[in-house]
Amino acid sequence: MNAAANALPQGEKMSLGRRLPLWVFRIVALLAGIAMFFPPANPGRISEKINESASLFTNGVSYGTITNSMGRILRSQWIRDADITLLMIACAAVMAGVILCGIGGCMSLGNRKMRRRGFLFPLAGAPMMAAGLMLIRHVHGRMMAHGEEVGKLDKIGVMIPGGFWVFCAFAALLFLTALIAFLTTEKETDPAAKMDMDEKYRLFLMLLPVVLLTFVFAYLPIWGWRFAFFDYSAGGSIGADNYVGFKWFHFLFSDPATTKDLLRVLRNTLIMSGLGIATSWLPIAFAVLLAEVRSTKFQRFVQTFTTIPNFISWVLVYAIAICLFSTDGFVNSFLSNVLNVSGANTNYLQIADHTWLKMLLWGTWKGVGWSAIVYIAGISSIDQQLYEAAKVDGANRFRCIWHITIPGLIPTYMVMLLMSIAGILSNGMEQYLVFSNAMNKDVIEVLDLYVYNIGIGQNRISLSTVVGISKSLIGITLLFAANGISKAIRGESII
Amino acid sequence: MKREKTPSVYIKRSAGDWIFDIAVVVLFCAFTLICIFPFYYLLINTISDNDLVTSGRVNFFPMLKNEAGKAVFGVQINNYTALRNVQDLGSSVLVTVARTVLGTALMVITTAWAGYLITKRKMWKRSFWYRFLVVTMYFNAGLVPWYMNMLMMGLTDNFLAYIIPGLVAPYNIILVKTYIESIPSSLEESAVIDGASTLKVWLKIILPLSVPILATIAIFGAVGNWNSFQDSLLLMNNRPDLYTLQHRLYIYLNSSSNLGAMMSQGGTISEQAAQSMLNQRVIQYTVSMVSIIPILLVYPFMQRYFVKGIMLGAVKG
Repeated sequence: MNAAANALPQGEKMSLGRRLPLWVFRIVALLAGIAMFFPPANPGRISEKINESASLFTNGVSYGTITNSMGRILRSQWIRDADITLLMIACAAVMAGVILCGIGGCMSLGNRKMRRRGFLFPLAGAPMMAAGLMLIRHVHGRMMAHGEEVGKLDKIGVMIPGGFWVFCAFAALLFLTALIAFLTTEKETDPAAKMDMDEKYRLFLMLLPVVLLTFVFAYLPIWGWRFAFFDYSAGGSIGADNYVGFKWFHFLFSDPATTKDLLRVLRNTLIMSGLGIATSWLPIAFAVLLAEVRSTKFQRFVQTFTTIPNFISWVLVYAIAICLFSTDGFVNSFLSNVLNVSGANTNYLQIADHTWLKMLLWGTWKGVGWSAIVYIAGISSIDQQLYEAAKVDGANRFRCIWHITIPGLIPTYMVMLLMSIAGILSNGMEQYLVFSNAMNKDVIEVLDLYVYNIGIGQNRISLSTVVGISKSLIGITLLFAANGISKAIRGESII
Repeated sequence: MKREKTPSVYIKRSAGDWIFDIAVVVLFCAFTLICIFPFYYLLINTISDNDLVTSGRVNFFPMLKNEAGKAVFGVQINNYTALRNVQDLGSSVLVTVARTVLGTALMVITTAWAGYLITKRKMWKRSFWYRFLVVTMYFNAGLVPWYMNMLMMGLTDNFLAYIIPGLVAPYNIILVKTYIESIPSSLEESAVIDGASTLKVWLKIILPLSVPILATIAIFGAVGNWNSFQDSLLLMNNRPDLYTLQHRLYIYLNSSSNLGAMMSQGGTISEQAAQSMLNQRVIQYTVSMVSIIPILLVYPFMQRYFVKGIMLGAVKG
């Protein structure tokens, strides 16, 4: 690779006049690529009844999502299936054009030969976008005519969306800049020259798909935060008429019922996390004691079986809980049939008493053996000479544990502790969802479960988003704080 | 885990030492028992006579009824064969197996590729992109925005929703990156001098050398996929045929109606067997067992990989 990089014409510097169209092209191509996943910029939303949360990408690939909210319209054929299919084809063409431009953008990072060849892609891609856009326009016309024919034009709300013009501008700009760049890039005179690219860009482009996937699935959801500022209900739309600003943020504190819920949920969250943090030394104790057992076979046996629960899902833990603690579970049948206790038919899962403690115990049962592995390995990496020296000085086992083993594990423990403090609001929802029932609902609902219950269960999208945003922001603040503390104390960051 | 012994001091053990040692061993035996007994209990409930299970006669050993109707030690597998009559179970098993195989394989490939590239110091803005990937471990936009995003992508009621979002697993990328960094770079350099491309180096040198870590993340991924519940619960509202096994089990566990009623009509089971199959609990237990068994089967062989994974994870990325 070094050899290849050296083969690049190093002295190839471009003037500003040549670089400008190149950069405009790259940036516009990038914007077009992002806009492809951006519902408000969807050029294909030519009817108000087309799902508002559908982007150009969705329009191009998923018939079901386009027609999500037009059941009656489609059944009565106010909009014809054929038009929707045609619209999909048009959107797919626009997408293909954008992708070709993207390829050109990637290749524009290469050497002269590669750049020149790369610009052929947008020179084909931009017209393809234009053709797709024209087809969208055509479908728009057909839809309009058909709507008039059946007299339901007002019901189907045919329109040319803003995104259409955005994409028109994209296509024009891309074509123009690509053409200029193509014409100003001299043809490679050396017939032996090969297409090549500086290694740093080549490596980046190879990582690009991963970066894009991450962007789409981990960063793009932030766009969903906009629902917090609107009166949104599932399947509805957002616009100037239901923009409410910070109403929902105020609502958290001004609506007594919500405030009460929130406080209750926060209490549960903090108590459960607090109990977890308070018992976070258990894995250390587990590891230290296990290391005191001298048979490695026994150690391995214990380790193998105590880590199994970590690998089953919470649903299965719940199944096991039913099996052990329900009315006809192990505990009751053991009491009544083996110990002959009469009237032993309590369903322990339905009792709300000690819910926090029970949840802690289940969490410990599931996690302690697994969490201990880190410490067990930590112990094995402590220098044995320390122990020998201590014993020569007359230290007994407990002193060795207290003065050598435990201090050796503290750094790891600090990292774990800081991480769990940073994650104090995120207990996850699975455990609490499966164990929740009508009896213990009030004490088991943690923040994550609350967000799920109001957002998905009760369809209060905006409120749920507000709670989620607050949680995310507090979480990230805590994380940076924990990181800062770690840096200050240990001189090492944890993230 | 293996700790070198320091025999000299252990030769003479005081009475206190003995008591301590015994107490520790007893403690660990007890805890290990607590960890495995539930699985055992679940198992014997599914292989005993269903009437005995319902009346609570099965406590420590699998029991069957003899001719006189008395409980004796014995095993039956009728509950397992009867599972094929449980509605919708087949499709969720298929879906779960498919996502476990496909999702894991693709995730491992993506992760191995990303983990290798991210070790390349020459990459343009490498550390920025690395942080860009890793930050997503600590930050998420929240459940509802995530759901709306999936809706926007057309990934609701769609099998691909199980595969595509899982392709990039930042934690696994850190593991692979850390591992690859420990491989002597001279191996790679000599291949580069011989003119191997990045792809070729990855395929011929990096992949074979990182098999242990890839096995580790494959196991993590497979277990995660097998246990997946939340995405099915959130995204597959209109496609019950795409529910994962855990989701299906969750529904069974929560169904107040008798599962027997959910069994399809005209099965091959006899009248009497059908009667005993009406036992909802036993069906729940059996389905649970079916979804635990794969994990229990692979676990002992894979344990060292798990351990290696968490060890590497403890090393900061």
